[in-house]
Amino acid sequence: MRYETIPPCWEKFHPPAGGPLKTDNFNSMKEEISIKSSIDELPVLAGKIEALGEKWDLPMPLTMNLNLVLEEAISNIVFYAFPDKAEQQTVNIDINYEKGEIEIVIKDNGIPFDPTAKEKPDIDLPADQRPIGGLGIFLITKIMDSVNYKRDNDKNILILKKKI
Amino acid sequence: MNLTKKNSNGFCILNIEGRIDTTNFNEFENEVVGIIGTGEKNIVLNCKGLNYISSSGLRVFLIAQKKLMALNGKLHLCEMQPTIKEIFDISGFSTIFKIFETEEEALA
Repeated sequence: MRYETIPPCWEKFHPPAGGPLKTDNFNSMKEEISIKSSIDELPVLAGKIEALGEKWDLPMPLTMNLNLVLEEAISNIVFYAFPDKAEQQTVNIDINYEKGEIEIVIKDNGIPFDPTAKEKPDIDLPADQRPIGGLGIFLITKIMDSVNYKRDNDKNILILKKKI
Repeated sequence: MNLTKKNSNGFCILNIEGRIDTTNFNEFENEVVGIIGTGEKNIVLNCKGLNYISSSGLRVFLIAQKKLMALNGKLHLCEMQPTIKEIFDISGFSTIFKIFETEEEALA
């Protein structure tokens, strides 16, 4: 494991010297996004996250990483929680900001799928031994501070948190 | 995603621009694998214009690396934006690719 501590680049996520994030002017902020369980929805979602980043005045690298985390989480849900792709369902994404922490809650009513149960890739293997794929969930766990899954009343619930 | 190609110094230089994600990695994979298929063994991927990559995109970089290693070829990456480099770092990809600051160094 190469990064046991916060990588230096993460410093960019802290508010610029000019002042705190606009988000700090409020006790909490909340955004609710609903998309269909389809890969075609990813560009739509990316557009909404870009807009949210501007509205909440988030640093660009953080907006990019939130987009990445959501792309990885949603594409896994589309591929594994809804194997019957003919029937599209709704995936609900709540993004909350409170007390310097971003929380993303993703809910779907697909078959039970726990992404946190996936085996972690060995990132120290040389190229010829590295398996193709399997990095999506790993990227989420490295970018966010915590990743938790629960199954609740026929719903998959994934809760991602990160201090900013 | 937009890919443009030129040849210099015995390398095929590919400029990648835009995003590589779950919706378009197939296109990127087909283009890169196609270029390797035409006999290009030494490739420089200039990532200056690459502003977003997800695990789907990383997958294609690894496929290209494996194919070129099997051919005793070279894959050099250069001019990567810090946010992209960060993703390579946390994936362990920075140690399995040769990453250069400038295109000139990548061609040396």
